[in-house]
Amino acid sequence: MDERFSGFGAFILYTITAGMMLFILAPLLLVMAVSVSDSYFVTFPPQGFTLKWYAKVLQDRDFLEAMRLSILLALGTTAGSLLFGVPAAFALVRGRFFGLAAIKGFLLSPLIFPALVTGLALLQVLTKLGSQDARLNLLIGHVVVTSPYVIRTVVTSLQLVDENLEDAARTLGANRLTTFWRVTLPQIASGVAAGGLFAFMVSFDNYPVTMWLANSEYSPVPLVLMRQLVNVFDPSVPAMSTIIILMAMVGVLLLEKLVGLRRALAA
Amino acid sequence: MRSSEVRLDRLSKEYNRTVAVDDVSLTIEPGHMVALLGPSGCGKTTCLRMIAGLIRPTSGDVFVNDRRMTGVPVHRRNVGMLFQNYALFPHLTVEENIAFGLEMRGISKADAARKVGEALNLVQLSSFGKRYPAQLSGGQQQRVALGRALVIEPAMLLLDEPLGALDKGLRESMQVELRALQRRLGLTTIMVTHDQDEALTMADKIVVMRDGKLEQVGSATEIYQRPASKFVAQFIGASNLFHGPVEQRNGSGAVIRVSPELSLQVDQIPQSASDVMVSIRPEAIVVERVGQSPAAQRANSVTARVDQAIYRGFVSHYYLKTQSGGQIIVFEQNQSQQAGLRYAVGEEVVARWESPSNHVIARH
Repeated sequence: MDERFSGFGAFILYTITAGMMLFILAPLLLVMAVSVSDSYFVTFPPQGFTLKWYAKVLQDRDFLEAMRLSILLALGTTAGSLLFGVPAAFALVRGRFFGLAAIKGFLLSPLIFPALVTGLALLQVLTKLGSQDARLNLLIGHVVVTSPYVIRTVVTSLQLVDENLEDAARTLGANRLTTFWRVTLPQIASGVAAGGLFAFMVSFDNYPVTMWLANSEYSPVPLVLMRQLVNVFDPSVPAMSTIIILMAMVGVLLLEKLVGLRRALAA
Repeated sequence: MRSSEVRLDRLSKEYNRTVAVDDVSLTIEPGHMVALLGPSGCGKTTCLRMIAGLIRPTSGDVFVNDRRMTGVPVHRRNVGMLFQNYALFPHLTVEENIAFGLEMRGISKADAARKVGEALNLVQLSSFGKRYPAQLSGGQQQRVALGRALVIEPAMLLLDEPLGALDKGLRESMQVELRALQRRLGLTTIMVTHDQDEALTMADKIVVMRDGKLEQVGSATEIYQRPASKFVAQFIGASNLFHGPVEQRNGSGAVIRVSPELSLQVDQIPQSASDVMVSIRPEAIVVERVGQSPAAQRANSVTARVDQAIYRGFVSHYYLKTQSGGQIIVFEQNQSQQAGLRYAVGEEVVARWESPSNHVIARH
């Protein structure tokens, strides 16, 4: 390690890495900086320091209501996509049936199709079906969009699980369900956790599908944020964004703490 | 531990019209250890997995003590199984691994703890209970797997290339140990292996398989000394195979003409045979210098040139070429004080053997 990363090569490498990090993080840092600006307009560099925009945001009924809805929606979506995605992944990896490849492609297709199109299609289908409840429609839409993430992470971690482990458990007296619960699931826990986190975050900040399925009564955070941005672009918008950024960071750190992020994403 | 009789009745398995196991019938006596031996793809593992219940046969049945097992799910069959890669649960300790099967059977914590202790003792790993599989060597891991399989007091033990991942020395000592334990417990055991030495070392009965079919079933001696087919003769040990017409009958035997310089005296030959294949094991052949040999022109004797000579410690291998170009392999045991090879490459020698060493192969 020391030998490989030293001297001029290391200098170049670290410079490029730092540059990339800055490139990726700069917009976020900018938003965070602006959110504490003591001015009525979004300006950079920020002027002075204040937390009043946070105070304003945390008293904003619309925003709090949207936060509550988004969190519940994201939790529901996570549960739904795990409930759907884990068995689907299991079937894709362990199954031997006709059309396996086609089904695999189909299940992962929402990753490829533009979410905007998926959202519109969902709206049409759900309207045809007479589903009026915006919350239910949002849940269905988000599960459709997030399941591929769960399927992908779980498929990759399942592929690494030795099938003999399951066979061994079964010869020892465990039925298929017990085998999955006691033997397979512990092996793929990191993949499941990563998939779940993806599902939560993708649901939480999804705009293109949410836009079609939400209504005036039930508007998740991204829509409220957008509305606010259009109406009054004061530092309360960056403050809201900062809260979301911090939430995402907590999620990532939690995953790292629980299963190790590297393992979860590599799996 | 009770012993079970295992019977396969016309067992077959097809995958998309390719036949993996083809109409296999076999009875395994209680307390016996049987080895399914064959090259990869011969159907031996599929057979074992059908006995375990992990694969559903296309047709045919498995009977255990005359009870038909078709339709009985794996987890109710009470089989102990060992896998080549051990298949220990990586997230559980050694103790928890062994306790798994007991837990599935609803055995109380106290009883389970006692049985786990006994099992650990049996496989000589008493001080390793709290460790995780990844902290153990391959041999230790397979011992844990053995303990885990035995603790449930299985009706039979199934071994799927159980020692294949261990290195030679450890593998050989584990073979002897496993065999001794199996004998002591009187546990009906079926193992799958492609390693003939393993089968010869461990099994009461060897079942040679090829292309999904049984090629020959018999004891180690029977399989080695009287191979039923050309395949068995070549797969188990090395063989010199000769082929030729019956030249002259004498009593129940005959003289077979292999080439102008080589004829074979065979003691037993079927009446109807006119063209036969004969196998001679390389260690049955004696090599002598020309002139030392009594008579070069008798049956079961031929002059040849040493083509290759290989010193391998306790044996030397000689590859001889006869005048008509036929090859003869000879294994000669070395004496403890012998100074290397007894014959040099290019040397003219006589190879001869006794007529009982000529084994007529029925199927070729």
